[in-house]
Amino acid sequence: MDCPDKPGNDDRYECPLMTITLYDFELSGNCYKLRLLMNILNLPYEIVPVDFFPGRQHKADWFLRMNPFGQLPVLKDDDLTLSDSGAILAYLAKKYDTSGKWFPDDPAVTAEVLRWHSVADDITSTSSAARLALGYGYAFDIEKSQKGAHRIFRLMDEHLWFGEKSGRDWLCSPAHPTTADIACFPYVMLSEEGGISRQDYPALRRWTDRVRRVPGFTVMSGIFPAGRAKE
Amino acid sequence: MPLSLSDPTWYPIASSEDLPFRHVYQGQLLGRELAVWRADDGNVNVWENRCLHRGVRLSIGINEGQELKCQYHGWRYANQSAGCTYIPAHPADAPARRIENRKYPVKEAFGLIWSAANDDQKFAPFAGAESTDWFPLRPMPVNAAPEDVLAGLARLAPDDQPADLLPGMALRLGTTVYFVQPVDAGRSVIRGLIEKPADEVATLRHYNETLTKLRDRLERAAAKKPAPEPLQPVFEKVSADLASMPDIAIPRGNTMPVVVKRKWQSADGVIGFELADRDGKHLPTFQPGAHIDVHLPNGLIRQYSITNGPGDLSSYVIGVKQESASKGGSKVLVETVREGDVLAISEPRNNFPLRRDATRTVLIAGGIGITPLLSMARFLDKSSLNYELHYFARTGDGLAFQSELAALHGKVDRHIGLAREAIKAKVAEVLGQYQFANHVYICGPGAMLEMVQETAASLGWPDDAIHFEYFQNDKVIDSSSAFDVELARSAMTLHVPAGKTILETMREAGLTVPSSCEQGACGTCLTTVMEGEVDHQDVYLNKTEKASNTCMMTCVSRAKSGRLVLDI
Repeated sequence: MDCPDKPGNDDRYECPLMTITLYDFELSGNCYKLRLLMNILNLPYEIVPVDFFPGRQHKADWFLRMNPFGQLPVLKDDDLTLSDSGAILAYLAKKYDTSGKWFPDDPAVTAEVLRWHSVADDITSTSSAARLALGYGYAFDIEKSQKGAHRIFRLMDEHLWFGEKSGRDWLCSPAHPTTADIACFPYVMLSEEGGISRQDYPALRRWTDRVRRVPGFTVMSGIFPAGRAKE
Repeated sequence: MPLSLSDPTWYPIASSEDLPFRHVYQGQLLGRELAVWRADDGNVNVWENRCLHRGVRLSIGINEGQELKCQYHGWRYANQSAGCTYIPAHPADAPARRIENRKYPVKEAFGLIWSAANDDQKFAPFAGAESTDWFPLRPMPVNAAPEDVLAGLARLAPDDQPADLLPGMALRLGTTVYFVQPVDAGRSVIRGLIEKPADEVATLRHYNETLTKLRDRLERAAAKKPAPEPLQPVFEKVSADLASMPDIAIPRGNTMPVVVKRKWQSADGVIGFELADRDGKHLPTFQPGAHIDVHLPNGLIRQYSITNGPGDLSSYVIGVKQESASKGGSKVLVETVREGDVLAISEPRNNFPLRRDATRTVLIAGGIGITPLLSMARFLDKSSLNYELHYFARTGDGLAFQSELAALHGKVDRHIGLAREAIKAKVAEVLGQYQFANHVYICGPGAMLEMVQETAASLGWPDDAIHFEYFQNDKVIDSSSAFDVELARSAMTLHVPAGKTILETMREAGLTVPSSCEQGACGTCLTTVMEGEVDHQDVYLNKTEKASNTCMMTCVSRAKSGRLVLDI
């Protein structure tokens, strides 16, 4: 099998046999979480596009056989089939991140990361729901979804503001980003597509700058690069 | 009292710490959204949150340090002036006119950023402001009407020590001062200042808890009332001047007075002049490669390139060559103009624009020709674009702007004391064979410009990749021809006699036409030719442009045919 183009043209990277396949929808923030981490880790993978909208292929029989919950993303690594973006983030970090930073082993930090993975799911059920309702015709309660997102963003802004005051730049306590930051990032950034302004959350906005400056960061439709970091 | 869109009061709109390196803050005051950003030089910009090109929010744009780049089509706007400096869709052109985003007054004081809806009031500190080293609290956004929030804050006061109301939606509670930022009719931000506490985080958490509870009470109360109508700010239309085709004739331009803030020996034979506004305001937007006309005390007008980097509008720095045989231009500047003197200058004009889409940019300077190229290098440097600057000088002592060059991160090579042939060999080596999207910019003595153009052409560089600017036109102008010019738009036919230029003839006929150097070097009087054969005598147009016979410089060039038709 040919080695695909590697991000960053890193010659040190020895191309293994392609093992990872992402079942992906380009406009999905949850699929983007995995593309983002795999890009940061410089992991090669193949993409199988799934037409979530308007084709609803994630409810097709062939897809339900992989993930009976009918949700994107799905990731295959050799014979292993995984679903749920947060679970897959943890798997990829534990298996492929040699630095051990993205999903740290320390029990207290693991608990912190998982706590924010759970917040990420709450962001999906509010901010992403509002986006699906406004942009994709889903029959979700828009006002309720928006209010729910604002409630979470207020708490995140407070957490991040006091973090800055005490020298913590990321959602969890280590001095580097973790999968918690990747899990929460996309639907914060895409919130305006759901009619949720981030104007009232300056510390949250600054955190999105920091995430966008992580080496290996990649964009998706609606998520733009930030200005350069101080050198 | 209902909020007014024209309320001239200064309100805090952000904390100083909300504007870290290369961030763009999103704010709002009296219904108007704001993009707020700090440039690398520390200056804070408060602009309407709307790119005037396609209306996209500038708060999602990129803070490039001294310019803000819109995320949509990459238009760039300068620090301080909000003037457009670059339009990627027209990479070879300088944004022709004064495209400027709407900006609001700004003041940074007491750890807060202050702004106002208009310039009607001067900023005045609140009573007692100067006595304390203030420490800002975490801002608390509240979805409630500003007057209700102010009343809520007043109710925090103990009965025996009522709140002291201050002008401008502010009050003092003991040693704490609170300001209500009127975001919109139903939205506010509480901003507080306290004396610097011993345990910062614990104190901030304490206030944050108090204000969070107040916010929740205020929002519960607001939810029971009908929501007030949001303010309806009027977005000013793009001015007719920007939205319409340019006038046929742009007047020569008003001059503005500037004061010589500093005059110094930059190098052996080069004097630096720093020119600033007399009242300390910023000067107009310029783009790299731009020059100004300087009106000299003896009545002469001379052009000098601006050496400044991006968004640096506090003053213009120019370099003037101390020529022994000067015709009275630079001589007057060097010998009689002193610090503190006032000079008249034109607005910046750019006939030497810099593309920012090149894969490789080579800047070649000879002597005082460094001035426009220094500005170009500084722009490319700030945006981390690839460039190399080659500076040729007769002696090491003659290298001007050394400290400015030392601050650059790109490749800067100084070539000292090379003989003519050695310069030619070095230029050929530096240029190499032409490759796609390479561009070279040259400024220096006439002989050097011609040599570099020839060398580049022999290495396959096309004319549109070779950009140059002459200081002056050394050619002897032949003005012996006589001919007619037909001015198509003005519906006028004029006879140009021998010894008189087209420009002079048009002016005598009452037309206002732009010009600057009037010797065929600067490019200001460039005119479209519709019919007739041009006798080009300028040094501004390149060979391809001259051969195309579609444009000319009316200050020196004439007609080979009996009649010329010009688009004037």
